[in-house]
Amino acid sequence: MVSLEFRRDRIVFRYGDQKYEWVIEPRYWRNPVIGALVLMVLPFLVYQYPNILTMITTANIYAAIAIMLSLQTIGTARLNFGPQFYVGIGGYTAALLNLYFGLNSALTLIVTILVSLLFAFLISPIVLIARGLYFALITLILPLIFLEITFVYGDIFRGESGLSGIAPLLNLGSVSWNYLAYYFLSLAMMLIYLLVVDKTMRSRYGLAMAAINDNEDVARTVGVNVNKYKILSYVIPSVGMGVAGWFIAHTFRTFAGITYLSLDFMVKILLMIIIGGRASIYGSIVGGYFVAFLEEGLRTLGPINYVVFPLTLILCVYMLPEGLWGLYHKRHYRDYYPKLRVRRR
Amino acid sequence: MKALLKLTNVTKRFGGLVAVDNVSFCIEEGEVVGLIGPNGAGKTTLLNVISGVYHPDSGTVEFNGKDITRMPPEEICRLGIARTYQIPQPFPDMTALNNVAVAVLYGKKRRNMSLADAELEASYFLEFVGLFSKRNTLARDLTLYELRMLELARALATSPRLLLIDEAMAGLNPAESLRAIKMIKTAQEHFGLTILWIEHVMKIIMNSAERIIVLHYGRKIAEGPPKMIAEDKKVIEAYLGERYA
Amino acid sequence: MLELLQSIIVYSFVFGSIYLLVSLGFSLICGILRIFHLGYGLSFVMAIYLTWMFMTELKLGVTLSIILMILVQFAVGMLIHWGIFQRYLEEEEKLLTLSLLAYLVFAHFANYRYPITAGVHLPTTIMYGALSIGVTTISYQMFIAAITAIFVTLVFVFIFLKTKLGLIMRAVSQNLRGSMLMGVNVGLTYWYAIILSTIPPIICTLTIAPFWSVDPFMGESMLSIAILIAILGGLGNLKGSIVASYAIGFIHSVVSFVYTSRFMGLVALIVTLIMLLVKPEGLCGAEKLW
Repeated sequence: MVSLEFRRDRIVFRYGDQKYEWVIEPRYWRNPVIGALVLMVLPFLVYQYPNILTMITTANIYAAIAIMLSLQTIGTARLNFGPQFYVGIGGYTAALLNLYFGLNSALTLIVTILVSLLFAFLISPIVLIARGLYFALITLILPLIFLEITFVYGDIFRGESGLSGIAPLLNLGSVSWNYLAYYFLSLAMMLIYLLVVDKTMRSRYGLAMAAINDNEDVARTVGVNVNKYKILSYVIPSVGMGVAGWFIAHTFRTFAGITYLSLDFMVKILLMIIIGGRASIYGSIVGGYFVAFLEEGLRTLGPINYVVFPLTLILCVYMLPEGLWGLYHKRHYRDYYPKLRVRRR
Repeated sequence: MKALLKLTNVTKRFGGLVAVDNVSFCIEEGEVVGLIGPNGAGKTTLLNVISGVYHPDSGTVEFNGKDITRMPPEEICRLGIARTYQIPQPFPDMTALNNVAVAVLYGKKRRNMSLADAELEASYFLEFVGLFSKRNTLARDLTLYELRMLELARALATSPRLLLIDEAMAGLNPAESLRAIKMIKTAQEHFGLTILWIEHVMKIIMNSAERIIVLHYGRKIAEGPPKMIAEDKKVIEAYLGERYA
Repeated sequence: MLELLQSIIVYSFVFGSIYLLVSLGFSLICGILRIFHLGYGLSFVMAIYLTWMFMTELKLGVTLSIILMILVQFAVGMLIHWGIFQRYLEEEEKLLTLSLLAYLVFAHFANYRYPITAGVHLPTTIMYGALSIGVTTISYQMFIAAITAIFVTLVFVFIFLKTKLGLIMRAVSQNLRGSMLMGVNVGLTYWYAIILSTIPPIICTLTIAPFWSVDPFMGESMLSIAILIAILGGLGNLKGSIVASYAIGFIHSVVSFVYTSRFMGLVALIVTLIMLLVKPEGLCGAEKLW
């Protein structure tokens, strides 16, 4: 049976013979809640500048992708070098369904989730079979091949120029209301992802994933069902990234393979994780905002910005070994700080 | 009485090397059985075969009447076999408490256990082995003796019926060895365990085990109570050479 | 049917040989340093655009530009090794992203200075005209590129099998600790490996520049070909790279002639993935240089 109890300091949820407790820790949630409130108030200060509003919307989307990638990295014990693959799948599914079949955004969301699930399950055996290096290589090539397909079947995918004219998520009349609504929706998506991933990492599933990350064979001997956790933590973040792609397609109303499937985008996502601090969740948000701000800020420089952007990122990696998040958050001794190893086994 | 663990003609080859050659024996419930043999005799490989890390090329392994020869290690653990390692293998970046909590949560199908309950139970096991004060230390910062105790706690936390111990005394000084032996004995009495114990230190295994199995080049060359093994000609020849036999 | 077969064989030979050079440097770094040099495309792009820059801006002749470009590439290779590989050997995610970033910086810079419309071309055609083999016609330059590739590969194989340096490199690739215990100067070996690995891309780009479409982002396609060959042949294995280069060249030719050239990359990827499922170490085994 299912039951929900409210004790003094925790919420207990029972389902059948399983018991889940959520210990309410006000001190832990104080800073995140303050941050969320700041982010909610932010648009009202800047809504006169639609550029800045789109910039922070993009930042939220980037942060959502980075959060999901953190979960995938720790759960599969490998670094995925092609996170933009699922963003591309999600975006193209949404765009194509909308343009060619006229489905509205809610329906495309459902189909996007299903399609991402399908692809993720099809590709998930790689997590089990491929050793660390091979996994990195294959995930690196997958989006490049998808990019090639979008160029090759240019009449359908329009890889270089992108599909445009996709129906917006919702239409509230005036443009500025739309932008505000998009921002709040993106913020909601990011906060939901944040909550889900944070609770997962600090729960028994996070414990299992940490065990798998540290020593897979021993984790097997202690009874952790390694295959199940690896596949689940590959599939679920992939679906999350697909949904982010859906969001991009409907918010910006264009979707181009060249932008979202190329190595440039991959490097941006990976850098959000690295600059934000080694695969920490809140650090990913900081990293996402940093990369989005940097991108927008450099755009004023003109076409040279494509050169300055990677250069700045190189400098950041060199000068901030702990990432930006490390400047703020001194690591507790007890926290789980995984060693991201690409050459595992 | 049905044997708890029964090996029948187990053979494991690595390429051309026969690590375990046609080994058969039984272990009854509640026994403490020692497994000795010179280096390279295949003892750790045998343990790996029992716990499911390797699958034998031929032969069967039965646990409590169930055939576990081809089962994956996770399921074997859930059936009730736990093991420790010759070189301690903790989860290095996790605290000692978390190390044991993983075992508590996943070692057996638990009812009504949340993460907080698991941590409570983990601290019980840590206190049993004497590591409660180190529960928040990362496993990579523990000393060798503490690591071995952590391994023991982690193995006990999976509620095993059969405990496979692989050279628990290697690297410990005599005082620590005595404490470790006492701990294993207490654990065995307290939890009602059956133990299969690989050991190099003869004095310990002769005193602790009720029955000893001797392996040499993968084959079982002797089996019996300690007194009989100590005087067995084949065993002496295996360890010291023909001249002393 | 016979003409089709002839075309396939000829083009497999030509492209397989060219891919030899493409993958040689990558396999070298993979095998000896055990690192994925995601910035491998840098060598290709630099070869073309640096030479062009020296020719047009500094008004040096072709030969002088090429020599200068080679020297600059050696320097850049050493800089990458010192700044990225040695520093971040333990933090591999940073290592890989930084090498990729290095490639991106230069590729975007080349794109900024010399966009597609700038008409960059290198006058490195050695022989004009076309050669007819049976019914297929290939340009002399293609043929020369293939022969040069085979020659360079043979030189590399000779270095690895018969010289002391090659022996040391093979040892380092198989057992790092053992080599260090034997007194091998591992750091110096790594420098040599880096320098050696920039040579095949340079030669490759110089010879194929006349007939291959040159654009600032060609490094990406070269990198993915190198990666596919590396996986197919076995990571870091030279013999595997040789075999796999011709295999991929064959796959590309067959797909191009039998179906359409648009699917070349996709079919190659699928074959590689199947190989990974069936025999993960690749055709010739991984983790050893030969």
